[in-house]
Amino acid sequence: MTRCRRLILTLFTIIIPLLHIGAEEVTLWTPETLPMVHLQDADRWVCNPDGILSAATVDSVDNIINHLYREKGIEAVVVVVKHTKDNDCYEFGMALARKYGIGGRKTNTGLIVILSIEDRAYYILTGTGLEGTLPDAICKRVEIKTMIPRMKIGDWDGAILEGMKAIALYIEGDDTLLKDNSPSEDNGWEALFGLMLLFFFIALFILILTQAVYKPCPHCGKKRLYATRQDFLYTKGRTDYYKVTYICSHCRYSETKIERRPHDDDDNAAILGGSILGSSLGRGGSFGGGSFGGGSFGGGSFGGGGAGGRF
Amino acid sequence: MKISNTLKIIIAIVVVALLLARCGTSTYNDMVNQEEEVGKAWSNVETQYQRRADLIPNLVNTVKGYAAHEKSTLEDVIAARAKATQISVDPSNLTPEKLKEFQAAQGEITSALGRLIAISENYPDLKANQNFQELQAQLEGTENRITESRKIYNAAVKDYNVVIRKFPSNIFASIFGFEKKNGFEAEAGASKAPTVEF
Repeated sequence: MTRCRRLILTLFTIIIPLLHIGAEEVTLWTPETLPMVHLQDADRWVCNPDGILSAATVDSVDNIINHLYREKGIEAVVVVVKHTKDNDCYEFGMALARKYGIGGRKTNTGLIVILSIEDRAYYILTGTGLEGTLPDAICKRVEIKTMIPRMKIGDWDGAILEGMKAIALYIEGDDTLLKDNSPSEDNGWEALFGLMLLFFFIALFILILTQAVYKPCPHCGKKRLYATRQDFLYTKGRTDYYKVTYICSHCRYSETKIERRPHDDDDNAAILGGSILGSSLGRGGSFGGGSFGGGSFGGGSFGGGGAGGRF
Repeated sequence: MKISNTLKIIIAIVVVALLLARCGTSTYNDMVNQEEEVGKAWSNVETQYQRRADLIPNLVNTVKGYAAHEKSTLEDVIAARAKATQISVDPSNLTPEKLKEFQAAQGEITSALGRLIAISENYPDLKANQNFQELQAQLEGTENRITESRKIYNAAVKDYNVVIRKFPSNIFASIFGFEKKNGFEAEAGASKAPTVEF
């Protein structure tokens, strides 16, 4: 009898946790675990990892945001999940903003809309550059009039789509928003300046080198010889042969030499140029990707503006 | 030979002096930059607190329309606001006492506003008023902005303090008179969990 009881007990201790695991298949999303679809595909902005929104809604909202991105330089991310880990949409959104730098670096026009359906919480977060266009009161108004009535009846698609439409109307009505969404114009200048400085030093280096190598005129010994003409002769292997005529500016003494130069390969030159350009521009952060590849965010900042609540 | 030796010593001294000066200027510039960052972060903190203070008259007037007899609560808010707006702190003169005073005055506004929002729960008409709802959203947003700006300020202070306390910049810091700065501390009472008694 005791053995039988023990057997039942052990069976229970094994089965109950198994049942528990089966029932608790809920992902508590954190800003780190949330898949950011925009990074894989530059045209997508809606994070819908639990599949709450329909594909049609996701598509429509992506279209709205793409339009805002092209016309007004807005980088908007919509997140719809069942649960967030800390049950706090505001902190979740701020952490996302810090992690990805949503919005242009200069314009700071980022926007994050979060809906956590089983926490029954939502938040619209505005980047510091968007606070004038979408003041907290306007965010609240959109939420009260457009989103909450739909969320209360579980119409998640309608809440997000109509909410985004309402927000888009406010944004489009603002003519002060910059069309230019290049996130790092000043960094671009900086990179250009760095590049110019680099070329200047290379030129200086070459000049010093050539000055050191050139010998004085063997005839008068006063001035250096300088090359007046250079005729290409032929290429042998990876070497070009030139006939170079040197002349002395003081006594007009001249001589010709056959000189060898490494063959100037266009491909190599392009690679070299590209790598210099790439490395110096790379510091300025990355730009938005094309429509085929993954996208990136500009590095904008959020100051805590926006409104949210529970429904 | 002897002259050349003295010359060598002089050159060595000059080189060392130049190196020290170079090191000193770059450290000095670093410290100035960090101090500027702290000043910038501080003015942002003040802006956000000012923003909250600017919301108060509107909020009080809206509540007054629905709950005129909650006079003492409304007056508390007005008084706390009047007191806090008088205190303005210059970033170059951020002593711990000044900061504490500033924080205490702003803390009074926070608690007075908390009471105001709490009593509004008793007035369904007020709660449903769109103007009030939007003001409340603005107030919440501003509280969030205050928190963010305080975080940024504290981070700037931390960076600055690290720079002026590290070797060898601490030597230059004491020469040029860069002093340790203070960040915000948690609000008084915020560390204690609220107790519920029946």
